Amino acid sequence: MERESDTPQRVTYAATVERMIESAPGTRSLFLRLPPSQHFTFIPGQFISCLLPLDGEPAIRPYSIASSPEEPARLEICLNLVPGGVGSRYLFSLAVGAAVRFTGPWGRFTLDRQPQAECVFLAEGTGIVPIRPMLWRALQSRDTYPLRLHYAAASASHLLYADEFERAAREQPRFTFAPLLGVSLVELVTQHYLAGDTDRTRHFYICGVGTIIPQLRDLLRRGGYERRAVHYEKW
Amino acid sequence: MAGSGVLALSRRGCYRTLGLCHRRNLNMAKLRVLFESGAPERTIEFDPAKAPFQHNGRPGSILDVLLSHGVHLEHACGGNCACTTCHVIVKTGEGKLSEAEENELDLLDRAPGLTSTSRLGCQAVIQDDAEITVLRPRFTINAA
Repeated sequence: MERESDTPQRVTYAATVERMIESAPGTRSLFLRLPPSQHFTFIPGQFISCLLPLDGEPAIRPYSIASSPEEPARLEICLNLVPGGVGSRYLFSLAVGAAVRFTGPWGRFTLDRQPQAECVFLAEGTGIVPIRPMLWRALQSRDTYPLRLHYAAASASHLLYADEFERAAREQPRFTFAPLLGVSLVELVTQHYLAGDTDRTRHFYICGVGTIIPQLRDLLRRGGYERRAVHYEKW
Repeated sequence: MAGSGVLALSRRGCYRTLGLCHRRNLNMAKLRVLFESGAPERTIEFDPAKAPFQHNGRPGSILDVLLSHGVHLEHACGGNCACTTCHVIVKTGEGKLSEAEENELDLLDRAPGLTSTSRLGCQAVIQDDAEITVLRPRFTINAA
């Protein structure tokens, strides 16, 4: 690609795969270690864009950061093996010690400081990934506003980080963890946050893949929640 | 010789051939890019029916057309409508672009240097026979 000479060059980070775990069937967490010379900071919810050496030009594949900014030299990304997806196939083929180049951080779906309101997190599948550090950030504050996580997954074995969320819910009374198996988030939102409930002060953080995300967004906004109180990221 | 082939056609056949050519020309679109940095402008002519031209952004989008014609436009999220680095300002021909959906508008809301004709290059699809002029802003690099 020809670049105009004035196009500024962004920083590219060069990490190595330190460890990987199968977090769920068909889902893998990669822990990326940055060299001490490279400092990386981000806001909970942001993603990195991996530059994958596939064909010709490096292919750009965005992955949300699953870890917290408090540990910036060691990033966790978590991804599904997508059928026919060359990016995920490449990352699944990497061994410990392999190099991964990326740019970032990117993205506006963030939670830096908890809003002065109840926060409801709606996650579907790997949509939990950016929400995890957002939730930890919110839990760090001394606010007393309730925090709720509704996490929809195909089965119990597909729930990522469930042990952590259960532990946090036991330790912090203001946090509720509600895994959702076999029930649609649309149904849940309609029942719990729209029908028969007049409180419209909550903030929502919604993440997942596909059309359910704009569907939830529209449902909440049309149901009376402030446009800017409904935060979402659709992949 | 090609010319003799055309001449040998009947009057009706010739007319039909010219008609096809005419329709094809009508479908061609033109994208002119201005650079806030002062780099020389570029004009790209292309056939929207041949989209996608590469793999980033919606097929036939400003991003798709620019990248496939050697003009760089940032696209940190890979053209998935998850950042604002492909922000462009449409100067002319706005009506010949696909309408912005809510996801794009929500992201643009937070783009630096937002104008009333701002679009995300990965989402704005150029329609047939459009003549579009866009400005590529100088600063998008640190704007997530």
